[in-house]
Amino acid sequence: MADRTPSPEKAAGGKPHIKWGDAYSKGRTAVESLSTILRYFPPRLSSSETPAMDLLQDPDIATQISALLRRPDSGAVNDNLCAWLYDTFHSSEPQLQLVVLRFLPIIAGVYLTRAALNKPLPGFESVLLAIYAHETAARNGQAVTVSIPDLSHASIYHESKMPTKNASTELHLAVITASLEPHGTVRSTRRAKIVGVALELYYSKISQFPVGSKLDFCDFCKIWSGQNSHDNHEKSTEARRGRINLAWELLQPIMRILGHCLFRPEKSDELFQAAFVACRCLNSRAQHDTNAKAMLATGSLVKLAEMAKNPASNVDYTEIAMSNEISV
Amino acid sequence: MSGGEPSGSEDPPGRQFVANGISMKTNEVEAKLDEGNIQEAESALRDGLSLNFEEARALLGKLEYQRGNVEGALRVFDGIDLQAAIQRMQQSLGDKQSTKKGRTRSDLSSVVSQNATNLVLEAIYLKAKSLQKLGKLKDAAEECKSVLDAIEKIFPDGIPDTFVENKLQETVSHAVELLPELWKQAGCYTEAVSAYRRALLSQWSLDNDRCARIQKAFAVFLLYSGYEVSSPSLAVQVEGSYVPKNNLEEAILLLMIIMRKFCLGKAKWDPSVLEHLTFALSICSQTSVLAKQLEEILPGAMHRIDRWKAMALALTGAGQNNFALELLRKSLHRHEEPNDIMSLLLAAKICSENVLLAAEGVKYAQKAIVNALESNPHLKGVGLRMLGLCLGRQAKISSSDSERSRLQSDALKSLDSALALEPETSDLSFELAIQYAEHRNLDAALRYAKQYLDATGGSMIRGWRLLALVLSAQQRFSEAEVVTDAALDETSKWDQGPLLRMKAKLKVSQSLHKDAIETYRYLLALVQAQRKSCGSLASAQQVEDGNANEYEVWHGLAKLYSILSHWKDAEVCLGKARTLKEFSAETLHTEGIMHEKQGRINEALAAYINALLLEPKYVPCKILIGSVLCKMGPKMLPVARTLLSDALRIEPTNYTAWYQLGIVHKVDGRMSDAVDCFQAASILEESEPIESFSTIY
Repeated sequence: MADRTPSPEKAAGGKPHIKWGDAYSKGRTAVESLSTILRYFPPRLSSSETPAMDLLQDPDIATQISALLRRPDSGAVNDNLCAWLYDTFHSSEPQLQLVVLRFLPIIAGVYLTRAALNKPLPGFESVLLAIYAHETAARNGQAVTVSIPDLSHASIYHESKMPTKNASTELHLAVITASLEPHGTVRSTRRAKIVGVALELYYSKISQFPVGSKLDFCDFCKIWSGQNSHDNHEKSTEARRGRINLAWELLQPIMRILGHCLFRPEKSDELFQAAFVACRCLNSRAQHDTNAKAMLATGSLVKLAEMAKNPASNVDYTEIAMSNEISV
Repeated sequence: MSGGEPSGSEDPPGRQFVANGISMKTNEVEAKLDEGNIQEAESALRDGLSLNFEEARALLGKLEYQRGNVEGALRVFDGIDLQAAIQRMQQSLGDKQSTKKGRTRSDLSSVVSQNATNLVLEAIYLKAKSLQKLGKLKDAAEECKSVLDAIEKIFPDGIPDTFVENKLQETVSHAVELLPELWKQAGCYTEAVSAYRRALLSQWSLDNDRCARIQKAFAVFLLYSGYEVSSPSLAVQVEGSYVPKNNLEEAILLLMIIMRKFCLGKAKWDPSVLEHLTFALSICSQTSVLAKQLEEILPGAMHRIDRWKAMALALTGAGQNNFALELLRKSLHRHEEPNDIMSLLLAAKICSENVLLAAEGVKYAQKAIVNALESNPHLKGVGLRMLGLCLGRQAKISSSDSERSRLQSDALKSLDSALALEPETSDLSFELAIQYAEHRNLDAALRYAKQYLDATGGSMIRGWRLLALVLSAQQRFSEAEVVTDAALDETSKWDQGPLLRMKAKLKVSQSLHKDAIETYRYLLALVQAQRKSCGSLASAQQVEDGNANEYEVWHGLAKLYSILSHWKDAEVCLGKARTLKEFSAETLHTEGIMHEKQGRINEALAAYINALLLEPKYVPCKILIGSVLCKMGPKMLPVARTLLSDALRIEPTNYTAWYQLGIVHKVDGRMSDAVDCFQAASILEESEPIESFSTIY
């Protein structure tokens, strides 16, 4: 919404823009400070009336930020870009926070593969902790739970609308994410949890990110799995590099994000293929780890994707019966 | 549709219009349409079939639509007035209600008017379909919605049963299914959600298959769109009924309802529904619910082996390994799929966690390795790993020394070859470290423990604990403490319990009793705070874990005070421990030691024997009874010796057992046996960890 910010010129023309001015000026500040970090800065952004929206969508910006984040020395203590991401997230401007989250796949991707090598990465950690702290505050530290329906309880979708009498069975309460405690630093045993919670936040906003961000994510899933997408399974050292320990705290949001990439309402063949490859790699990894839950979840995504690829499954039931007799 | 022509002949020249008992070839009309003369085509139709304007238009549009000329269809449909048709229909229904039951003339006229209305509604529906095909999705949705609005106006109490068989119902059903899809394709998700709910919560007399399809489509939207929908409105909620409060809950509910329809034979089986439900339930770690769903599926819908395998995974995911193994045994039966590699690996893994099943697991693992060579070479390493784990576990209950050492070395060989194949599997370093540690090859254990800690970047608490334990076994207590402190730095407060307990024991080992008491106190405060913070959300399991943790602290303190001969404090702590865990061999063990130290031999013996009654294989009390009996004169020596040998059979690396056995030999005059025992005891004591390695895995 911040993007409906009127330009200063219009504002000078009489219409006050106090309500949106804050979002606009925060957006401008973010644009200006980013322009000092990037080598090439598209001029159209400097004069943009919707700076936050453009930062989120601009492909040139994305390419440059991605390249910087992937540099071998990125994420260090003096990384300007990490500082920018940190400050931008702290602007508390939802639209600007989306810009930071848009790059979470690369931040988490590069961070987790390097952290396994015991490299100090305070730049990345500051951004991840900022996101984690934001989510901890938003949830008030509480666990996220789901109560699993039990069909012996009447529900809105039951055919008979009479409340059943034997509703004595308890609903299963499933804890999706355990309660969150504040963290000032990334302790190594909490790393998966902190990144996992950041990915959960990413998932909750996922419909707002450009496809490029999700493609980055699918790529890193493949790298994290340490598996090859091909069936020949000749594991190259290339595939092994970047393999990480996949705790459930990470796997769970990863699989939800991949589910979205495969079956979201807006179709993109490129994203579908990338997510399909990622799911197959993670399924192969789950088999290696003989991790039953992960095998079930990734296995079902792979099977569903294969079904979706089969044209026979895409019958249009809303088409009328075609007949040679056209009658009343 | 009940045309005289054989079905399936879709030759365009055979097309004909049928109305009012008259039929007419479409060629002429098509020619006029192709020339762009809609009006001429229309009047030809009106004259030929005695139709009114709207009926003629509707038929023409349908023709154009069927010919694939959707733009033309739209041009024809544009002239139709939906509102007029609705009014006519409402009127005729009003007539019908006033003329009582029975087939009268107005009933007939109502049928005619019904047909006319249906024709118009169908025309509007086809308009929506045409717009959809042209990519004008929002317009399409608006048209489609107007069909449903019209129906609700005409039938405010739902569509009467007499209409269900008729074409009107078909149009309505189509529109109900199409509307949410159109909004979804148009990117209008709020509208899509309300269209889905309108489809599912209003009375449209949908057939079961269609209803199941819409439910599935909505569930898919809820699961994957990433768009958080609002809860269903209060208006549709029945008191006391379950109302889903987020996407995941609503999706699971819908999928379960479809599954129920499959089970009752009401809807056609669709395998994708089960896969979506599998995904949703695994994501929430509720695979036990999934197992139940799988169990209920009708035979024939799913191959029995696929069902067993899926259920085995679901049960394993829920920690119900015994049931899972039973199913795997079925699917691995020689008449089923005895060579299925994933079943073999999963079965081997389950067996590797239980000493009594380890031998069975060895067979599965060996078979998996053989089969991996043929079909899945990338799983050979996993097979070797499972083989190593099963062999290591089997060694634990081996009755002879020679067999044990053979099993142990085979286990190490398997794990080593697995590691050679898969150096990136960090768990293998952990498992090798454990095997070597239990083998008391501490140098090798230390190497692998360090390797594991490195490979996991210190992210696994068990890695830190293992390293500290191996160091403690090497009697390098201060280094073990440094590792423990580093681990505490890398751990958040709620996970620190086991580390603090180790730290306290390390302090005791260094005779720093005051420090140990301090550490225990801190640990106690932590455990109690943790239980409080769990609060009402705590599951029975969490409550139990909390009790177990607090029990361990009190028991540790009791032992510590007993070492210091602070009998009163020890009594108090032991009393607290007893309230948390009423029957415990460990408590009785400590109680016995306190009696014995204070010279109350009979009470001590009674406590030790009680402990053995609770846990017949509880080694420490066997040893203590042996030691007490040994002091009771030569008559008791054979009994003591039997007890101690028994203890060593269970725990061959227990140095106190060796030491006591040495004393028995010495008292009995078998000096050289005694020397051997003392030597073994002294070597083992020098490699004794502060707690058993088995506490880590």
